Amino acid sequence: MTIRIETRDLGKTFVVDGRAMRAVDGVSLAIREGEFVALLGPSGCGKSTILNMIATLLPNSSGDILIDGQPIDRRRPSRNVGYVFQRDTLFPWRTVQANIGYALELAGVAAGERRERTQTALAQAGLQGFGHYYPTSLSGGMRQRAALMRTLIVQPQILLMDEPFGALDTHTKLEMHRVLLNIWEREKQTVLFVTHDLGEALTLSDRIILLSARPGRIKEEFTVDFPRPRDAVTLRETPAYAALFSRIWHSLGEEFVKGAQP
Amino acid sequence: MSRLTILLWQVAIALGLAVVWEWGYSLHDRLPWLVPELLDPYFVSKPSAIYDQFLHASCLVDKRGIWNDWGNGQFSKCMARSENNLWVATLITLKNTLAGFAVGTTSGFILGLALGRSDRLTAIFQPFIVAANSIPRIALAPIIILAFGLGDASKIVTAWLVVVFLVFFNTFEGARSVDRDHISAARLLGASEWQITRTVIVPSTMAWLFASLTPAISFALIGVILGEFIGAQQGIGRMIIEAEARGEAAGMMVAVFVLMIVGVILATIVRRVQNHLLRWRPQSAGNL
Repeated sequence: MTIRIETRDLGKTFVVDGRAMRAVDGVSLAIREGEFVALLGPSGCGKSTILNMIATLLPNSSGDILIDGQPIDRRRPSRNVGYVFQRDTLFPWRTVQANIGYALELAGVAAGERRERTQTALAQAGLQGFGHYYPTSLSGGMRQRAALMRTLIVQPQILLMDEPFGALDTHTKLEMHRVLLNIWEREKQTVLFVTHDLGEALTLSDRIILLSARPGRIKEEFTVDFPRPRDAVTLRETPAYAALFSRIWHSLGEEFVKGAQP
Repeated sequence: MSRLTILLWQVAIALGLAVVWEWGYSLHDRLPWLVPELLDPYFVSKPSAIYDQFLHASCLVDKRGIWNDWGNGQFSKCMARSENNLWVATLITLKNTLAGFAVGTTSGFILGLALGRSDRLTAIFQPFIVAANSIPRIALAPIIILAFGLGDASKIVTAWLVVVFLVFFNTFEGARSVDRDHISAARLLGASEWQITRTVIVPSTMAWLFASLTPAISFALIGVILGEFIGAQQGIGRMIIEAEARGEAAGMMVAVFVLMIVGVILATIVRRVQNHLLRWRPQSAGNL
C-alpha cells in the first residue's frame, strides 16, 4: 500500500537557556494510506513535537519528513494535510459557521456552495442551529467539534491531530470519539493522532506507536486489530480490549516512571 | 438596590446640588465660614441665569424675554445676526471632533498595525515615537494654529494629534499579541500571508482598536476645544473665551453644559457601536 506520511531518522534539539536539549531522536515511521495511527507516550516525550514538525509548524533539526514521497516545504504546507490543535483555536470574532467555512472562503468557493457545505458539516458535528453562535458561547466539546469541522471541510486526505480531545471530560471525549470514528469510517483519511491516553489510542487506531520518555524514540509498536466499525463505549467492555490494554499499559508505565525522574 | 431607588438618589443629589448652586451664596454674608467664595455667581453663575442665557444664545427667546416665533422668521433673523450662535458653534465643534476622531483613529490604527507586525520598523521608529509622545500636546497647539490658520483645519489637526497616539499604542499592543496559534491555524488551512493579515491579524487587532474608541472620542473633543481656545472664529471653545472676556459666567456655563451633553452623546454612540462590534466577546459587565 502507498505510504503517505514518512519520517526518516527524525530528530529535534531545542536550546533552552543556552543548553541543548534533545527532544526527539531517530524517529523513523511510515503511515500507509487510510491508516489510523496513534502516537502514544508520556507527557514531554516529544510526541507533539514530532507531529508539529510533520505539520510544518516546527523546523526539524535532523532527518527527513516526506508527505506522499515529497519532502515537506515549510513555506507552503500541503493542502492535503489537515491539522487539529490541542487548544481550541477557533477564531473568536467569527461565528461557528464562518469558522467552519473559513478554508472554503480562503479558496474562493462561491457563497452559495460554501453555505451548503458548511450546513452539512454543522449537521455532521451535531451543531445544527448553532451556526450563528460565537465560539465563546459554546461548550468545550462543541467548540472542538467545530474546530474539527473547520479542518475537515476541505476534505484533507491526511489528518494530523495533536491531543485534540485532551482538555475534554470523559463523557465529552467518548462523544468526540464517536463523531470522529463516524467521519473516518466514511472518508478513510490517513490519520496520525497524538495522545497520552491509552484508552483513546485503543478506541481509535489501527496501530499504536509507543514513544519512550525524553528524548522521544520509538519504543514499541502494537497492532490494534479490533473489528470496525467500533463503538467507543462497548469496545471497552471486550476481553480483547482489556488484554491489549494491559500489555501496552505495562510498557507505557515504565516510561511514565522514567519521565517522572528528574 | 432597585433601579428606582438608585434613580431617586440620583435625582435627589442633582436637585440638592442645583439648590445649593442657586441659593447657596445668599447665605454667604451671614455664614461666611460655611459658604465658599467660589459659589459667587460672578464666577459660577446660577442655574436660573444659565437657563436664561441658554435661551438667548440659542435664539429661542429675544432680548425682552419673549419666545421667538418660528413662523415670522424671528428665529432665523436672530440666527443670522450672530455667526457663532449656540447652534452654529455646537455644529462646528461637533464636525471637527468627528473629523479629528476619524483621521486620528484611522492613521493610528494603520501605524500601530504596521509597526506592531514589523520588528524592523519598530526598532527604527521607536525613539521617534517615544520622543513625539513625550511632548505635551497642548504645547503644540499654538504652532498648529500658526501653521493651519484659524479655520477648521487647525482644530482637526489638534484633535488628530491627541487621538493618534492613543489609538496607535493600543493597536500596536494588539498587533503584537495576536495569538500565534490563530496564525498557524490559518496558515495550515491554506491562508496566504495577505489572507492571514486580512482575516486574522486585522480582526484580532480590531478588538484592541475598539477598546480605545471611547477614550478617543473624548480626546478628540478635548483637542478641538483646545484648538478653539488658542485661536478660532467659531465653535464652543470660542464661545467660552468670548464669554470670559466679557465676564459672563452664565455664557461660559452654557457652553460647558453643551459640551457635557455633546460628550455624553458621542461617548454613548461610540460605546454602542463598540459593543456591537465586539459582541463575540464574553460580556464584560458594569462598565461606566
